[in-house]
Amino acid sequence: MAKTISLTLKVWRQKGPNEPGRFETYEARNISTDASFLEMLDIVNKELTLQGKEPIAFDHDCREGICGSCGAVVNGHAHGHERETTLCQLHMRKFRDGDVLVIEPWRSRVFPVIKDLIVDRSALDRIIASGGYISVRTGQAPDAHALPVSKEHADAAFEAAQCIGCGACVAACPNGSAMLFVAAKVSHLSLLPQGRPERWRRVQKMVRQMDAEGFGACSNHYECEAACPKGIRVANIARLNREHLLAAFRARLFGEYPDIKVLPPSV
Amino acid sequence: MRVNIFKYSSVGKKQIVAITGLMLVGFILVHLGGNFMLFGGPEKFNGYAEDLHRLGPILWAARAILLVAVSVHITLTFSLYLENRNARGTPYAVYADFGNTTFAKRTMILTGGLIFFFVVTHLSDFTFASKTGPRTVIPGVNGDASLGLFGLVWMSFLRPWRVVLYIGAVCMLGMHLSHGIQSFLQTLGINHSQWTPYIERVSNLIGVLVALGYSMIPLYVVIRHLTVGVGV
Ligand code: HEM
Ligand code: FES
Repeated sequence: MAKTISLTLKVWRQKGPNEPGRFETYEARNISTDASFLEMLDIVNKELTLQGKEPIAFDHDCREGICGSCGAVVNGHAHGHERETTLCQLHMRKFRDGDVLVIEPWRSRVFPVIKDLIVDRSALDRIIASGGYISVRTGQAPDAHALPVSKEHADAAFEAAQCIGCGACVAACPNGSAMLFVAAKVSHLSLLPQGRPERWRRVQKMVRQMDAEGFGACSNHYECEAACPKGIRVANIARLNREHLLAAFRARLFGEYPDIKVLPPSV
Repeated sequence: MRVNIFKYSSVGKKQIVAITGLMLVGFILVHLGGNFMLFGGPEKFNGYAEDLHRLGPILWAARAILLVAVSVHITLTFSLYLENRNARGTPYAVYADFGNTTFAKRTMILTGGLIFFFVVTHLSDFTFASKTGPRTVIPGVNGDASLGLFGLVWMSFLRPWRVVLYIGAVCMLGMHLSHGIQSFLQTLGINHSQWTPYIERVSNLIGVLVALGYSMIPLYVVIRHLTVGVGV
């Protein structure tokens, strides 16, 4: 039989972006240790609904750690204390009976709270829109081996491409910086032949957009790497820095890319 | 060419911080080597100082470059610091790090600021002080005649508070560098799966060695004064 545990939750409740928020205390009783963290919240929410209270709002979709929707800060750790695990994949067996959990949304000036634990991460979408793409016409998928890609580059690009854009890097960074996210996108595209033509322009555009949104700068604390549910490494940030430095020299020397526009931040 | 350093992107600013930091590291190491001449006695030390001053315009050019590097380094780090502090918004009720950040990393702005105030004191102690006045005389040594810069340094470190101040300041410097050296490599885009872990250790080691190296000078003066004396 599955074991059960009971916990005390202190959850951030906030009705809307412009409402003041505060912590509410709830008891989560007889939670199966096989339940995921989100399932535990579901159980608490069912209870709240039966009592005629407003359930705790939280983002989720796939519940299998691949979509990047879920996320909350649990006792100070983005996605909880378990390494390389999204909140939906964090299981209650990682907690002990009687634990008190403080559950907060990602804290960033750039991610305003929509409701309770749900934050607006559209700033990340605008960073992608600013340069996180390749300009090709869509059509038939090309043959897998039509373009030669070295094993090293393919592996590194694949590793960076695992970023699910959940925003845990921003939440965990003492500076609220989105560098790991931007670095993962810049790396994954610039390592592959399809991403090469727009390489220099891309890094400049994405960094400009990141700054315009109001994210902090990277001070090399590396908390993002530890919090990242996909284990994206800070070596990608070094790659972004390198691309940025080279792009700046090219822009100075050849006067390239005068057309960098910034999308209006926060809607 | 008009250069407005505030118009650079956050990454650009950090890269300028890294380059100016690297220039300052260069100075710190050369300066430490120069200070070690003190162990050679008054003639060697004063001779080295005179050789430096004989460089004339080159010395002034080097000083001007350092002054620009320090100013840019401080201005940009302070501007980044303010931006970073502003990025969080509502603070966490509970924030726990995963252990990747360190005390040295979190206190860069503090150690940097303290180094700055120390440098001001340090310049007025030695650089701008008279090299022939009464403060350069070590009583009972050299027939009570001036011992130049050597005498000035010697007499300065016979005051306990100054010894404490200097050792405290160079410990701050060592801590700043222990993160600074590994950090500037990452900021300029150098991160290697095999070498970086060693680079981090070497960076910490350089920090410790800089703190120890600079601490040796006041300690040497005090210990030598209490035992064999100047020896000239
Ligand atoms: C004088 C006052 C100083 C202040 C206020 C100061 C402040 C700072 C701060 C806040 C940072 C971190 C920047 C960030 O990560 O966002 C930093 C980095 C650094 N500092 Fe300083 N600093 C000072 C002096 C020095 C000196 C004397 C040296 C060298 C001997 C130095 C070398 C470095 C290096 C190498 C870095 C790393 C750059 C990087 O992160 O890429 N600093 N400084
Ligand atoms: S719900 Fe999709 S990653 Fe957690």
